[in-house]
Amino acid sequence: QTRLISGVVTDNESVPLEAVTVAIVGTQKTVTTDAKGSFKIEASTGQLLRFIYIGAEPLTIPITTESANLKVKLDIAINNLNEVVVTGYQKERKKDITGAVNVVDVSKIRDIPSGNAVKSLQGRVPGVLITTDGSPTGQATVRIRGIGTLGNNDPLYVIDGVPTKNGLEQLNQNDIESIQVLKDASSATIYGSRAANGVIIITTKKAKKGYSKIDFNASTSIQNYATKLKTLNAEERGRAYWQAAVNDKANPNNNQIYQYDWNNNFNNPVLNRVIFPEYIDAAKTMKAADTYWFDEIAQNSIIQSYDAALSNGGEKGNSLFSVGYYDNKGIVKGSRSQKYTARFNSDYNYLDNKLKIGENFSASYIKNAQIPASDILFASLVQQPVVPVYTVNGGWGGPAAGMTDRQNPVRLIEDNKQNTYNFYRFFGNAYADYQIIPGLNFRTNFGVDYNGSYQRLLKKSYVSGFLADPANQVSNSQTYQGNIIWQNTLNYKLTRDKHNLEILAGQEYIKNISQEFSASRQGLAIENIDYAYLNAGTTNTLNGGSGAGNRLLSYFGKVNYSYNDRYIASVTLRRDGSSRFGKENRYGTFPAFSLGWRMSEEKFIKDMGLFSDLKLRYGWGRSGNQEIPNNATRSLYSAIYGTDPTWDFDKGTAYDITGAGTGQLPSGFALIQQGNDNLRWESLKESNFGLDFGLWNNKLTGSVDYFIKKTSDILISPAYLAVLGDGGNNYSNGASLQNKGLDAILTYEDKIGEDFNFSLTGNFSLYRNKVTYLPKDVLASYPGNGTDKNVLGRPINSYFGYVADGLFTSQAEVDAYANQPGKGLGRIKYKDINNDGVINDLDRDFIGDNSPKFTYGLNVSLSYKNFDMSFFLQAINVDVVNDFKTYTDFSSLWTGTNWGSRTLDAWSPSNPGSTIPALTLVDRNNEGRFSTYFIENGSYLKLRNLQIGYNLKKALNMKIQNFRVFVQGSNLFTIKSKSFTGTDPEIPNYGFPVPVVGTIGVNITL
Amino acid sequence: VVSGDDLNTPQNIDKMVIAAYSALGNDHYTSPYSSMWPYGSVRGGDTYKGGDGPGDLSEFHLFETFSLNRPDNALIDQVWFRLYVGVGRANDALRRVDAMSATDYPNKVQRQGELRFLRGHFYFLLKILFKYVPFIDQNTPKADYPTISNRALSNDALWTKIADDFRAAATALPVDQADKGRVNRNAAKAYLAKVLLYQAYTQSENNAISGIDASKLNEVNTLCDEIIASGKFNLSTDFANNFLAAFDNSAESVFAIQYSKDDGTPKGRLDYGHALNYPMNQEYGCCGFNVPSHDLINAFKTGTNGLPLFSTYNNNDVAASLDFQSSSFDPRLDHTVARPGAPFKYKSTFLFQRSWSRAPAIYDAFASMKEAVLPDDPSFQKVPPFIGSSKNWEIIRYSDVLLWKAEALIELGRPLEAVTLINQVRNRANLSRNLLKTAAGSPTSNYNVQTYQPGVNCDWTPDFARQALRFERRLEFAAEGYHFFDLVRWGIASQTMNAYFTLEKSRVSHLSDARFTLGRDEYFPIPLNQINFSGGVYKQNNGW
Repeated sequence: QTRLISGVVTDNESVPLEAVTVAIVGTQKTVTTDAKGSFKIEASTGQLLRFIYIGAEPLTIPITTESANLKVKLDIAINNLNEVVVTGYQKERKKDITGAVNVVDVSKIRDIPSGNAVKSLQGRVPGVLITTDGSPTGQATVRIRGIGTLGNNDPLYVIDGVPTKNGLEQLNQNDIESIQVLKDASSATIYGSRAANGVIIITTKKAKKGYSKIDFNASTSIQNYATKLKTLNAEERGRAYWQAAVNDKANPNNNQIYQYDWNNNFNNPVLNRVIFPEYIDAAKTMKAADTYWFDEIAQNSIIQSYDAALSNGGEKGNSLFSVGYYDNKGIVKGSRSQKYTARFNSDYNYLDNKLKIGENFSASYIKNAQIPASDILFASLVQQPVVPVYTVNGGWGGPAAGMTDRQNPVRLIEDNKQNTYNFYRFFGNAYADYQIIPGLNFRTNFGVDYNGSYQRLLKKSYVSGFLADPANQVSNSQTYQGNIIWQNTLNYKLTRDKHNLEILAGQEYIKNISQEFSASRQGLAIENIDYAYLNAGTTNTLNGGSGAGNRLLSYFGKVNYSYNDRYIASVTLRRDGSSRFGKENRYGTFPAFSLGWRMSEEKFIKDMGLFSDLKLRYGWGRSGNQEIPNNATRSLYSAIYGTDPTWDFDKGTAYDITGAGTGQLPSGFALIQQGNDNLRWESLKESNFGLDFGLWNNKLTGSVDYFIKKTSDILISPAYLAVLGDGGNNYSNGASLQNKGLDAILTYEDKIGEDFNFSLTGNFSLYRNKVTYLPKDVLASYPGNGTDKNVLGRPINSYFGYVADGLFTSQAEVDAYANQPGKGLGRIKYKDINNDGVINDLDRDFIGDNSPKFTYGLNVSLSYKNFDMSFFLQAINVDVVNDFKTYTDFSSLWTGTNWGSRTLDAWSPSNPGSTIPALTLVDRNNEGRFSTYFIENGSYLKLRNLQIGYNLKKALNMKIQNFRVFVQGSNLFTIKSKSFTGTDPEIPNYGFPVPVVGTIGVNITL
Repeated sequence: VVSGDDLNTPQNIDKMVIAAYSALGNDHYTSPYSSMWPYGSVRGGDTYKGGDGPGDLSEFHLFETFSLNRPDNALIDQVWFRLYVGVGRANDALRRVDAMSATDYPNKVQRQGELRFLRGHFYFLLKILFKYVPFIDQNTPKADYPTISNRALSNDALWTKIADDFRAAATALPVDQADKGRVNRNAAKAYLAKVLLYQAYTQSENNAISGIDASKLNEVNTLCDEIIASGKFNLSTDFANNFLAAFDNSAESVFAIQYSKDDGTPKGRLDYGHALNYPMNQEYGCCGFNVPSHDLINAFKTGTNGLPLFSTYNNNDVAASLDFQSSSFDPRLDHTVARPGAPFKYKSTFLFQRSWSRAPAIYDAFASMKEAVLPDDPSFQKVPPFIGSSKNWEIIRYSDVLLWKAEALIELGRPLEAVTLINQVRNRANLSRNLLKTAAGSPTSNYNVQTYQPGVNCDWTPDFARQALRFERRLEFAAEGYHFFDLVRWGIASQTMNAYFTLEKSRVSHLSDARFTLGRDEYFPIPLNQINFSGGVYKQNNGW
């Protein structure tokens, strides 16, 4: 006969578990546990009670005559198959997942002071390529499984259920509880139109029931600019110029700075001495110097990071409050990013625990120094060493006669350091989750994501060499943009015997707006940022502004089914409507399905005794992309009064028709784009084949995924036939791309003895990209010559140019070679691709592409008693374009700049083995043309991170929950290809250099 | 942003006309077209590209050397595109004007005239750069644009289409316009004369001159007569006035691009086609382009008779010796060329220095001054690192009209009638010395200019007259971007340029590989991009 069985379910640390399904096997009777973990159920002796909880190994207990007040412990272990993974509007156990989903081990990146959780993930997730630089702002570019589209390739971030396209550098890294990456379409399609670039799901920390604690983390780092480019010093620059001139048989003294004492014999030139003038300018204000500009702009700088989190888990609710401060002074003087973050996450239970109401809310304030870092770095390369930083009167040094018209980089720092960019973001959601009947939950979630920026820039007047600008200016700009998001979902879970069914149905509405305005004035009496408000300006009053918005309305559903933990199937359908698309095609439908077979549950595998887990997965899905301007469907005219012509054409429509030469002008309208009512979603179809495995009781685990990703109807706005004139650009669904690839991750975890634990995680990924279709009329917009050589069948970011086939090393070779205008001894020989005896534009060919051939990473973690140690190696195999060679290798492409020290080793009859073209002042051979000379092997392996920690709590037996100190180094060494001629293949060109960082820090939990 | 139909009101259509005008000056230093200096002066041997070296705007270096130029030169593609933006704005407005009734829109006829003038201007520039271009007017449906070949019209028919625009404009436009920036009847007649003069030299497929169309020349002559007889124009008393902002829209200006500053736009609607052509000193600072060649400087030399030295001007390289006193010179030298030690832009205390030049080892130490304004001029506007000004840029000035008439008469076999026209120009040059003085008040150079006096100081044969006319054009419009197109019109580009290279490469090293290919280099290649975008509808020019 039946009787009332009661009990309490806890995890292995005796924390009560809520919402555990308690079922009597073979019947339809189920109950769930309450907030105290207790349950009551009518059952009879001999029946089996089954406890099911997401994230825990299911447990079955037979009812015996003694069964009364049961104490049930469910094994919730981290990093096992029962780990809960947030997969989009719901949670699943890892072992039930059939798509390509990576769960990031957040603990491994916790202490890296990068200011951006995503940046710290570089190289850690197979199939996710993260590129970044050393800028203190911490921005990173994320590409999941290659370039899938021709527009915006950024993934969608979903933070506590709220979708956003903004990067994670705006979040406190230590607020993050978990990161999951949905890489394939079968898993990402639940996000429909925005999922084609993959989805990164972030869950922030919540207080745990029954736990009350304070976490405090602090670290201080010192950063060093270890990859300064070697440029010529003043003496060397003088010598290189002399060599270039005498190679040209031109009088080397025919210049305005360097004079030479030499034998005046062009056939056997010998330089005795470089003679510097006392002053390099006629006004005698700039003494000839020997400035190494990179030293002038670089600094050893400090990062400080502090955060504290107070969490309290109680009977009826949980709350967490955290604050963080991050201050990164960059290795370029004047660069700095400060972040202030605060978060409050809470949830409360009502109506006998049937209703849960909660919220997650964060606010961030970021203040970034506005120095023109890329100009500063570039100017440090090209500014000549003979230029002093300061004049004898304390003014700015700057270019003198015959020199490049680039700024003194120190002036750029000093004259801009008063300027800051201020950014704030409010991000969060409030939700209510109501259990209608056991297993059926309704959830409504309202999210807001608003951000804004404000900056007020003072541009100072200056005199710096022959560069001078007497006009100062204050300019203000303000932006405001954001989303509101409203989601409603129904989730139904049903467990019957060996059947597990979960049904999700939902609806989502997103409204986005953005606005900006700007204003500026000139003629400030005082150049002080505290004075420089708009009203202080007296001349050239300018203003501008714009705004736009869009809407998304979506319906979606998902069914997950598993039988006996062995056969798993999942079906997703989403329908999205976007205001961005043409009225003909406003809605798009995105289906997906996936299948899994947990072979390790089969007897024949179990009998092998090898596999603790073995799962075959297949998924297929279709997702979309809507990343085009809000009004791309329409033909539009714009009233463009006038635009800034400094670096681009004035697109304005105003004209001085009266000939007054000044004052308000009449102005018209210009077509800015052609409409396309047929514009529709870009469509991505992806198949994913996956295998998850665990051997020897999961000591060795891993997974391998192979994918075929095909994007079609890619939204493009290509270059167009010029006769269309203004606004001939037009968004259309044009191109198709294909990516095929492989991601793999392998972990080995074990312990030796009681005290020594270690784990090794390696990952590897590769993909191959190719263009499979382009409309004929847009082919010319992409690499190729537009006719017989085009990008079809090749990677989209292919390089197209000339093949530099070494140097001419003998006159006989020069004479015998094809008709190459400008050929000569020591000059670059360009390959005659079409063998017609003439080197011209028909000799261009495909000479590489920028996608990595493969990437890999290795993380090793060790712990012994109170010590822990980990290091992470990241590697990439890729070709890069080293544009800096224009300056490091040539004296002729920019004769007025400084050059690289490589020019000292240029080819000459006495240095016949050199591959660096002979020095000349006159580039007759057009050697700046894009050729393989500028393409280099940019492969590298970096020791990204090395950390050693020591747990003082255990060592000193302290009465707190945790007390750990650590030291850490980042980017400690790089192994690069010998053929790479720059300093850091990760930043081959104009990026902010990646520093070497050393950190000490502490983690305390009270 | 607005949709196209909202613009079909008289007020808005007037604004669309302004938008078409604004395209006149929407150029940029990377592909100027208000001033054609990279294509007309650098390619014509008047100037070197200049700048830091051949690598600085290397595309222009490829123009300068011809032998290195290629159909994939991106800046050829860019100037083609920008000129079609101008055509497109004119066509867009014209389509709207055409659709209005004259009762609703009383300005209809006049605005049609203005727009056809503007369209004709952009097509003229395309024509002299590329020879064969697709002709699209306001009646061509946009969907048909890609089907229209650059060879749909013959060389001559294309000229006729352009002439038709100016002919229509000349009929529709009033003699006087209240707005100085609006084109008028005489400007249209002048431009028509220019087009007909180019058309008169008929060209074969390989760009050789196959004949001279006397009826066109007669029309040029008549049109110039009408302009002269209108009494609206005069040569300025001083040549300098054409290059000083204070004299914008003077009586010599027939058609000029209006620039402005302090006008509410971010940097002003500035002459940005010349933004690179200033010296490298603290007052300016960028970027040393458009450097007068030795050949041009020497060309200003005059003989003891005060006449140019047609064939011997290069015998003594004064640009190398910097001796401007032993020989005599046309004063236009010091209006055109800045040289070390001489006043820059008429300011006797502001002497051009060798240190102001950017790469003297390559391009020597001179600068072009016509486009420049003084740093204390009200029209001057720095746009760091570049330099702008609101000084107008002349497309047609009255001296041009006089010399077109002279050219037509000479080619019509009436050379004697041309003498007074050329002499008017020379006489004015001779009188333009007031501003050319050193701080001490002495002439900057030794000047000696005489008019042609047939039988007295010259033998005015038809051949001599032709040389005199051609030389006069070079001196009058030196470094302004016209010379190369004159050479092509006359059919002497190849011989002139190759002779220039032969000598000039001994003076400067950057021309050592320069060579002009007859039958090819008279025109740019049709941009490879455009041929590709057209899917082969466009055909490449001869020789490319």
